[in-house]
Amino acid sequence: MPRAPHPLPDRLRRRLVVGVPAFAAVAGRVRAAPRRTLVIAAFPAVDKIVQAAVPAWQALQPGVEIKVVSRRSSDHHVAMTTALSSASDLPDLFAVEADYIGRFALGRGLEDLRPAPYRIDTLREHFVPYALQQASNPRGEVVAVPSDIGPGTLLYRHDLLQRAGLAEADFTRTWEGYVEGGRRIKAATGAYLLAHARDMKDIAIRTGLAPGEGLYFGPGNTVAVGVGSPRFVRAFELAREVRRGQLDARVSPWTSDWSEGFRRGGIATQMLGAWLAGHLNNWLAPTTRGLWRAAQLPEGAYAAYGGTFFAMARASSAESKALGWQFARLLTTDRTLQLAAFRQHDAFPALVDTFSDPFFEQPIPFLGGQAARLVWREAAQRIAAPAIHKQDRFAEEVVNTELDKVLLQGKDIASALGDAERLLQYRAHR
Amino acid sequence: MRSLTDAADAAAEAAAAKAPVPRVPPPRRLHISARSVPYVLLLPFLALFVVFGVFPLVFSLYLAFQSWEPTSGLQAMQYVGWDNFAFALFDAWFWKAMLNTLWLALASGLPQHLVAIPLACFIHASFPRLRNVVLGVYFAPYITSTVALAIVFTLFYSTDYGLVNSLLGALREWPLVGALLPAQRIDWLGEPQYIKPAIAALVFWRFVGFNIVLYLAGLQAIPRDLYEAARIDGASALQRFRHVTLPGLKPMIVFGVTLSVIGGLQLFEEPFILTPDGRGGSDQAGMTAAVYLYRTAFDFNDFGAASAMSWLLFVAVALATWLTQRMFRSAR
Amino acid sequence: MSSRRAQRWQAAGRYALVGAGALVMLVPFWFMFTFATHSRTEIFSVPPPAWFGDDLLSNLRILGERIPFWRNLGMSLYVALASTALTLLFCSMGGYAFAMFEFRFKRALFALVLGTMLLPSFMAMIPTFMIMDALGWIDQPRALYIPGAASAFGIFLMRQYTASAVPRELIEAARIDGCGELGIYARIVLPLLKPALGTLGLVTFVSSWNNFIGPLIVMRSPENYTLPLALRSLQSPADAEWGALMAGAAVATLPLLVLFALSSRQLISGLTAGAVKQ
Repeated sequence: MPRAPHPLPDRLRRRLVVGVPAFAAVAGRVRAAPRRTLVIAAFPAVDKIVQAAVPAWQALQPGVEIKVVSRRSSDHHVAMTTALSSASDLPDLFAVEADYIGRFALGRGLEDLRPAPYRIDTLREHFVPYALQQASNPRGEVVAVPSDIGPGTLLYRHDLLQRAGLAEADFTRTWEGYVEGGRRIKAATGAYLLAHARDMKDIAIRTGLAPGEGLYFGPGNTVAVGVGSPRFVRAFELAREVRRGQLDARVSPWTSDWSEGFRRGGIATQMLGAWLAGHLNNWLAPTTRGLWRAAQLPEGAYAAYGGTFFAMARASSAESKALGWQFARLLTTDRTLQLAAFRQHDAFPALVDTFSDPFFEQPIPFLGGQAARLVWREAAQRIAAPAIHKQDRFAEEVVNTELDKVLLQGKDIASALGDAERLLQYRAHR
Repeated sequence: MRSLTDAADAAAEAAAAKAPVPRVPPPRRLHISARSVPYVLLLPFLALFVVFGVFPLVFSLYLAFQSWEPTSGLQAMQYVGWDNFAFALFDAWFWKAMLNTLWLALASGLPQHLVAIPLACFIHASFPRLRNVVLGVYFAPYITSTVALAIVFTLFYSTDYGLVNSLLGALREWPLVGALLPAQRIDWLGEPQYIKPAIAALVFWRFVGFNIVLYLAGLQAIPRDLYEAARIDGASALQRFRHVTLPGLKPMIVFGVTLSVIGGLQLFEEPFILTPDGRGGSDQAGMTAAVYLYRTAFDFNDFGAASAMSWLLFVAVALATWLTQRMFRSAR
Repeated sequence: MSSRRAQRWQAAGRYALVGAGALVMLVPFWFMFTFATHSRTEIFSVPPPAWFGDDLLSNLRILGERIPFWRNLGMSLYVALASTALTLLFCSMGGYAFAMFEFRFKRALFALVLGTMLLPSFMAMIPTFMIMDALGWIDQPRALYIPGAASAFGIFLMRQYTASAVPRELIEAARIDGCGELGIYARIVLPLLKPALGTLGLVTFVSSWNNFIGPLIVMRSPENYTLPLALRSLQSPADAEWGALMAGAAVATLPLLVLFALSSRQLISGLTAGAVKQ
C-alpha cells in the first residue's frame, strides 16, 4: 500500500497506517468499478462448466469479467466455511456439492433466493423438484439453485449377468432378488456383486423413505436410527448377507482398487450417480465399453448421488448478489448451456426444460447402445429428497462404524443399532 | 575515535579465545540504552506474535465458551458457558480420539527412539567420511511435503496394487516369517486394526532420522576418556553402552522424547492425508484428537465444541510434557 | 586375533544395519521418482514398475496444463525465501534479547511464546483469516511469509544457541568500548550464530515450502497457490492423474533435497548444539 506523505502527529499516523489498508479493502469492494470482475469459487469439473459459460455471459454482460477460483472439493468447502464465518472476502457466487448443501443450508450464511430480485419460486417448475428440496431448509428458505443432479442408477455388467443366466428384471425387482442374483453371478463368473457391503446399506436405508422424513433423524430432533426402525434393520441385514456370501469386493469408491476392479471385471454392479457411466468411459474402465447397462435402482428406490448447486453469501453486497444471481440463472436455466455441460462433463441437467431434447434418446455406445438417459430422466423426476438435519454427517459415520463392526467383528445388529441410537441421541441437540 | 589496537586489546582481554576478533565499532549514531535494547530487539517479533500468535489463542479461548455455527457469520455466536467442555468430556468419540492419539503417539514414538539410539551409535562408530550423506538420507523423509507423501503412501498401502502388500506377498513364501503373516492381502487403509499401524509406520519413517541426528550430536558431546576409562576397567561393549553412553545421552533423550510427546499428541497431518478426506477411516481408527477437532469444526460445523476440545487437548499435552520431565528427573 | 575378527564382524554388522535402514528411508523416494516417469495405467499394474519409464515429459505436460505449475513453483520459492529471511532476522534478534538480557515479564513472555506451540495450527485458521482480511492481505504472498516470522520454535532455538555460543564477556567488552547495542548485535553476535541460523533457515524454508493449510485459507487465485496446494487441487478423486501427480510431488521435493544436501552440516551442528546445552 503506497503511503501518502503524512504531516500528522505520530499517534494519528500509526492509526492511519493500520486503518488505510483496511478502509481501502472495504471501499474497493463497495465502489462500482467500470471493469467489474465476478468471482466464482468452485471445484474440478464444475470450474470447467463455469468457464464454458463465459461466452454466453459476455453476450449478456460484456463489461463483467469472470474469474474462477478452483480448489479440490473438500478444500473448497473448508475455504467457503472460513469465508462465510467472518463474512469477508467472499466470492460473488460459489458452488456447493450436494453432500455439503445440507450443512450450509441449515446455517444462516446463504442468501434466501425467494424474495426479490431472485424470486426462485417463479422458476420452480423449471427444475427437478427434489433438487430444490435439497436446497431448502426447515425455515422454508431456498438458499441455492441447482445446476446439475446425480440421479441414482444401477450400472451392471450385462455380459456377467448373461453368463449367470439372469435377466435384468429378476435382478431389480427386490433387494433380496438382487442379493440372490449376486450369489449366482459369483458362482458363475467369480465376480463380486458390488464394491462394498456399505453401498448396500446406503441405498437400502433410502428405500421406502416417506417424503419429508429425515434419513437419520425425525422431527423435533428425534433419532430415527435404532432397533425399532425396520428400515435400518433391513438395511443392516442385507449388508450382512452380502458380506456373508462374500459378494462384495471390500473396496471403497474412488480408490485405486475400486477402479482396477472395474477394469478387470471383478465388480459386476455399481449403484451411483448417472455420471459414473461417463467416468467409466473416460478413464475408469474404457476397455469395458459395451459391456455395461444401466437400470433403475432395485425395488423402486430412487435416490440422488451428488449434484451441484450455486449459492451466494447473505453478507455479500447487493450489487454482488445481483450479478451473481444473473450468472447463476444463466448457467442453470439456459438450455444450451445445461445440455453442453451434460455432453461434455456428464453433468445431468437440473433443468427440466432440457428433458425434451433428442439428446436423451441417443444411444450411449459405452452402454452397448442403450438409451440410458431416458432411464435417468425418469428417475430424476421421481427422487424424493430426505429432510436434512445438522448432525446428518455425524450420523452417517456412526452408522457406518456400527455396520463395520457388524461386518468385521460379527457384532449383532440389535446392539449395533442400539449403540448408534445412543450416540446420536447424545448429539441430536447440538 | 577508537584505534584498531584498542579494540583488539579489549577483545583479547575478554578471553574469548574462540570468538573471532570484532571489527572496529562505528561511532555511535543511534543511542539505545542497554535497558531498552531488549525491547527494541524483541519488538518486531512481538508485534507479529501478538497479532498472529496471541490473538488466535485468545479468540479460540473465547470461542470455547460460545456455540457457533461458522457459516452463519460472527453474529451467530451465543454464550453457553461450560457447555462445550461438558459435551466434550462426555463425548464417546472424544475419548476414542484421545485413546487413538495415545496409541499412535506410543506406537510411532517408542520405535523412533529405540531405533534411533542404536543407529546413532552405529553411525557414530563407523562412517567417518560418509556421515553427512548417511544422515542426509535419514533426514530426507522429514523434509518432504505431506502432500507428496500422501500421494506416494496411498499408492503404497493400496490393497491389491500396493508395494507393501506385494512385499508381504513375497515374504509369505519364506518358511518361518510366512507363517506369521495373514493369508490374504491386507486392506491397510480400510480396516480399523490396520489403519493404526499404517499411520504409525509412516510417522516412524518420517521422524526417525530427526532423532538420529539429535542422538548423534549427543554422542559427540560424550568425552572419549570416559569410554577409555570404562574399557580399562574391563567393561564390555554392552556395559559401556549402559553406563557411559546412556547416561551421557540423557539430556538429549529428554529433549527428543519431549518433542515426540508433544508432536505425537498433536498428530494431525499423517492421519489426515492417509484416510479418505481426512475422516479418520473406518471405526475412526485413525482419528486422532487433532483430526477429530478438525472434523468437529469443519465437518460438523461446531466451532465452539472444537475450541473447547482444543483447550482440553492443550491441557493433556501440557500434562504429558510435565510428566515426561518428572519421569526423567526422578530416574536420575 | 579373534577379537579383531569379532570387531570386523561387528563393524560389518553396523554397516549392514545402517545401510538397511537407509534403504528403507529411500524406497518411497525411489518410487516417487520412478512413478513420475510412468503413466497412470502403468503405475497401477501388478507388480508396479520399479524402473524409470518414458512418460516424464508427458506427465509434466499434463501438470502444466492442469495447473499454472511453474508459477506455483515460483510462488513457493518466493514465499519460502522471504519467510526464511524474515524469520532469521526476527528470531535472532528476539533470541538474543531473551538469552542475554534481563527485563520485566521475561519469563512469563517466554512461557507464553512456548505455549503457543501447543495449540494446533488449524485452530488459528479463522482468526488468522479475519486478520488477513482486515489487513487486506488476502491473496497476497505477504500473508504467508509475515506471520511465520513469529516462530516459537525459532525463538526457542535461537535463545538456546545464543545462550551457549555467545560469551557474555565479549558483549560486555564491546559495550565498554562504546559499541552501540544494535552494532553489538549486528557485528558481534550475529556472526557467532551462523550454525543456528543455518539450522533455523533450513527448517523455516522446509516448513514454509511444505505448508498447505496457510495458503488454503488466504490464497484465492490459482496462480498464487504454492505448489503443495496446487498439487492437492489436482487430487480430485474423480480423475487423479497419478503420473502427473507423482511428477509434481517429485518436483515439489527436489529443491528441498538439494538445499538439504548443500547445508546438512550446518543443520546438524546448529540443531544439536542448541539442544545439548539445556
